[in-house]
Amino acid sequence: MRNLNKTNLSRLLSVTMAAVLAAASGSVLAGAGDPAAGKKKNSMCAGCHGIADYRTAFPEVYSVPKLGGQHAAYIIKALQEYKAGDRSHPSMRAIASSLSDQDMADLAAYYASDAAKSAGK
Amino acid sequence: MRKIILGVVYAALVAGSGAHAADSVAGKQKAKTCAACHGPEGNSLTPDFPRLAGQHYDYLVKALTDYKSGARKNPIMEPQAKNLSQRDIADIAAYFSEQKGLRTKY
Repeated sequence: MRNLNKTNLSRLLSVTMAAVLAAASGSVLAGAGDPAAGKKKNSMCAGCHGIADYRTAFPEVYSVPKLGGQHAAYIIKALQEYKAGDRSHPSMRAIASSLSDQDMADLAAYYASDAAKSAGK
Repeated sequence: MRKIILGVVYAALVAGSGAHAADSVAGKQKAKTCAACHGPEGNSLTPDFPRLAGQHYDYLVKALTDYKSGARKNPIMEPQAKNLSQRDIADIAAYFSEQKGLRTKY
């Protein structure tokens, strides 16, 4: 009886460990951006960021920033700040508010994907 | 006479506009502090810090001006930008915008 309990306990432990590991790796997978998925989601971005030397029209006029080769982590941070209202730009706030965390990760992965080629020396 | 007055006004406007005064050579000297986070020539090696190399001049001016005024909030960038004059901002933006790095991606 005592042996059986011990076996059950170790089995329970290993099952629990496996579940914890699976959950952990699952969340890593969900968080990782997919550049191919990002490319399909970027129609809202390309109208401004995809046109060379495009300028904002409102509320101030300046060149829309280049995103090709930018770090994914920074793009995600910028989108989250727009969504939260910590960074103010009317169009970006509206667009970022419509994006899920996964959308942001995918878009960031897309814009960052060929950083090695585009980054200078 | 009218033409002369217009010419003087125009010359004053051109001389007064910051964009024409931006000096990327001076900017390189002023941007030494930036390299600690934004990397050599603005090609940051740390994912949390944005690449600046090749970014548009006027976007960089706006970002720094907004950090300086507090319109854009960031605990690292606010104190950095507060110490910069509009001339410094123009020079630094000119320097980073002339480096090779970021590009427009469709």
